[in-house]
Amino acid sequence: MDNTAAIGKIVAQAGLLVLLGPLVTGFIQKLKARLQCRQGASLWQPYRDLAKLLRKGTVQSDSASPFFRAIPVLVLAATVTTTVMLPVLWAPAGAARLPMGDAILLLALLALARFLCAIGALDAGGAFGGMGASREMTVGLLVEPAMMMAVFSVAVAGGTTDLVHLAARRGMLPALAWQAPDLLALFAMLVLALAETGRIPVDNPDTHLELTMLHEGMLLEHSGPGLACIVLATHTKQIVILTLVAALFFPLGLAEGSEPLEIALAGGALFAKLFALATFLGLVESSYAKLRFFRVPQFLGLGLVCAFLALALRIL
Amino acid sequence: MSVDLATRLIDVLGGLLLFSTLLILAAGQLFRAIYAVAVQSVFLAIAGAVLGAATGNPDLWIIAGITIVVKAILLPWLLIWVVRRIQIPREIEPVIPINATLGLAAGIVVLAFRLSASLGPVRQAITGNALPVGIALILLGVLVMASRRKALVQMVGLFASDNGIFFTGMAVSQGMPLIIEIGVILDVVLGALVMGILVLRVRSSVDTDIADLEDLRG
Amino acid sequence: MASSLLWLTPLLSFAIGLAMLLVRDRRVLATLDVAGSLVLLGLTLAITGRVEQGGPVSALGIFRADHVTVLFLVLIGLLAVAVSLVTVGWMRRELARGQMRAERLRYYYALVHGFLATMLVTVLADNLGILWIAMEGTTITSALLVGFHGDKHGLEAAWKYIIVTTIGISFGLFGTVLVYGAAAHAQGGVLAGAMNWSSIVAIAPRLDPGIIRIGFIFVMVGYGTKAGLAPVHMWLPDAHSQAPTPVSALLSGALIKCALFGIIRFHTIARAACGPAFSQGLLLTFGLVSVVVATPFILAQYDLKRLLGYSSVEHVGIIALGLGFGGRLGTYAALLHVINHGVTKALVFLVAGDAIGRYGTRDMRVIRGLLGIAPVAGTLLLMGVFSLAGTPPFSIFISELMIIRAGIAAGRYVILAVFLFAVVTIFAGFIHRVGQMVFGTADASVGREPEARLPVLGLLLLVAAMVLLGVYVPAGLDRVLAHATEIIVG
Repeated sequence: MDNTAAIGKIVAQAGLLVLLGPLVTGFIQKLKARLQCRQGASLWQPYRDLAKLLRKGTVQSDSASPFFRAIPVLVLAATVTTTVMLPVLWAPAGAARLPMGDAILLLALLALARFLCAIGALDAGGAFGGMGASREMTVGLLVEPAMMMAVFSVAVAGGTTDLVHLAARRGMLPALAWQAPDLLALFAMLVLALAETGRIPVDNPDTHLELTMLHEGMLLEHSGPGLACIVLATHTKQIVILTLVAALFFPLGLAEGSEPLEIALAGGALFAKLFALATFLGLVESSYAKLRFFRVPQFLGLGLVCAFLALALRIL
Repeated sequence: MSVDLATRLIDVLGGLLLFSTLLILAAGQLFRAIYAVAVQSVFLAIAGAVLGAATGNPDLWIIAGITIVVKAILLPWLLIWVVRRIQIPREIEPVIPINATLGLAAGIVVLAFRLSASLGPVRQAITGNALPVGIALILLGVLVMASRRKALVQMVGLFASDNGIFFTGMAVSQGMPLIIEIGVILDVVLGALVMGILVLRVRSSVDTDIADLEDLRG
Repeated sequence: MASSLLWLTPLLSFAIGLAMLLVRDRRVLATLDVAGSLVLLGLTLAITGRVEQGGPVSALGIFRADHVTVLFLVLIGLLAVAVSLVTVGWMRRELARGQMRAERLRYYYALVHGFLATMLVTVLADNLGILWIAMEGTTITSALLVGFHGDKHGLEAAWKYIIVTTIGISFGLFGTVLVYGAAAHAQGGVLAGAMNWSSIVAIAPRLDPGIIRIGFIFVMVGYGTKAGLAPVHMWLPDAHSQAPTPVSALLSGALIKCALFGIIRFHTIARAACGPAFSQGLLLTFGLVSVVVATPFILAQYDLKRLLGYSSVEHVGIIALGLGFGGRLGTYAALLHVINHGVTKALVFLVAGDAIGRYGTRDMRVIRGLLGIAPVAGTLLLMGVFSLAGTPPFSIFISELMIIRAGIAAGRYVILAVFLFAVVTIFAGFIHRVGQMVFGTADASVGREPEARLPVLGLLLLVAAMVLLGVYVPAGLDRVLAHATEIIVG
């Protein structure tokens, strides 16, 4: 197989992820609405929001530096780049493949996006932006190492940090080949995914009450297409995290070649996995209250300990 | 069910048991801790059923059934009944911060796994990772009891420890003799009843949590 | 016949306990108590006779009586009788003082007999699981007894007792599971009676030393908690001081010995499986820590029953040291010390209970001139405390001396030095305190009723055993001890 085909596949599945990102958010919102006995907005509302934002003009704080305009684009770029590292539809086991980067780069790019976001919020000079940035970084401090450990725990078993290879290798094993570390890593990832996707009990994506905002706080100063970029980045990050979990723990149904049936099957598997994980996020968000911020470390501590144990037990 | 499959399932269940103990440790509220120990008992019962299917020993099925009835339903119900009866604040008051306990817990689990890894050939006698998980669960139960001041949480810790012992006991060759397991469960129930009586009596006479009494020293 | 005695004895005790629940009359209850205890002693002696003549007896596949068993068995029987006799007088005073309510009397007596029954099962069990179940049973019954008065301190002590010992002996259960696992592995699958001590000991040399080591550590911590070995003795002074006095005597005299019995059973297995050095080292550590930890608490104590509680920690430590020094001499001495301490400590608790009843306080600074108002109790307290402190010609002196000789034989001079220092310090503290209590003149407010005959009879029974064992070890006891040593050391 030549490189062109490989590039084609990678671009195709990366594009698919970016396109599906808002849909996942829409689905979670719908699920929450139904659980609250509301009709709720349509599944496509996030797309409409994005379109609306893109049509609008940009307003910018006087105190912001020229760099501020570049922030949303950089954030989006960093986030979208991560999508090429994930096995979404194809897991080219053994086939020649372009080295696109591995799990470490993926997590690093997400961290970079977080960092840029925080810098942007500080740059604008708003009080809530600064507060949001400080909180977001505090959460990041706890989430990132834990996520690293959880990913490494799986990587140690697979002998590689390349997610595509990892998924392919695990995909070949029987579904019941789970061990205690896998389970602990999964729990860690689920806890961390809640934080990383900015959901209750860590953050509240629906809130516009400034005092309780984490992620939203940082976006206050952005507007128009810039805001659209960051919102799209947020959607993408969410689906990337979910796909990462799916790739690490449920790498079933990935296609090998390019026959339509195989691809359809892989697509179905992808939808099923995203559906399950999004439902999980929605259910947790509907059944828990947001934690006070200083209780968040305690919640994330559970994830940290699980991730640490997953890694430690794997190495022992 | 093949022995190999059973070993894998026991490994997974061991992970679930560990996780549920961590949930008990991380719980900020009394009811969460009680639910966590109930869920843990369900996992324990599943482990019993798996081992029963793998070894063809009907005793293990009976024990799994008893575990469900007694440990997953009866004892949590007793705890909840006592909580409702004495109307205590439902927040758990940790003696040391919850995150510190979680850190300690991580250390304990690693230690338990190291210890049993050093045993080598002995592990053949005990299915899967039941030995290190059992050791870890016992010690984590003690950690719960030592780091929480509420009497009812201490009881939860005790049940978690017991679950660890049962897990290892089931995984030893063919499980322990049925009569012994039943006797042990009976003891656990009676012990829990007596503890419940003591908690209620203290509540009715001096209106504090029994674990808060600290007059006897020296 | 002999084998059915093994399960009949605890069953009878249990049945008596149940029967007591139906009785409300105080006199009938007391009579049942004394009679039941006497029958118990008779049955234990009968079992002893059989074991002495025909060697170990087993029953139903889960019970077994060998020479180690009968030592503990007779101790329990003897204490049951003495305690029941003393309870007659004690109960009368408690009722008069309003400490005990007449309508709850039957629960008290029933629980005491249930407690005795569980202790009997503990020492008669061959199956290590039954041993554990019975041990937890003793916790449950005696926890209710410790908190029987229902006052704040009693309930606190009961809670601490049940929580600490329950979690403690769940360690013991885990150790049991591990040993069972090792045995099942060595046998290649589970055979009948794989959990029986007798069958595990038979294959002990083939057991995996690694797992037995871990198992023994768990058992040592677990049953050590129940035995009151430091540093896991936290419950002991509280429970001993808050329990009704006859219960304190049983706790200290019999219960913690039952836990030691559990340790001895596993020690025997561990010795055979991984050599004597490991388990003896562990026993020495726990023993020495207990003796050292108890010393300052004994010196700084004003509460009479707490003082005796800490003294129990010390003596359990001494027994552990004897087992730890090992060899025939050390083991023999440790077993003798079990009897000596059981008898003496029960005696002192019972006498102390009498004094506490008269003075209405446990504070040793208030108790003065006991000899003047209760000559028998005063004399016995003095004798008992001298014995506890290790003075000749009383029994504890003999066993302590033998333990020291075993230590010299084992070449453990540093441990011996620490041990001797602690014992001498405790001796001084003890004699000082008790001297003040016994001599001098009592306040006028103190109860001066004459000493009742029946309780004194119970006390005399114990004191006779104490003095007798100080002068010489009867041939029958010597034979049993020698056989028991044989069983443990092999």
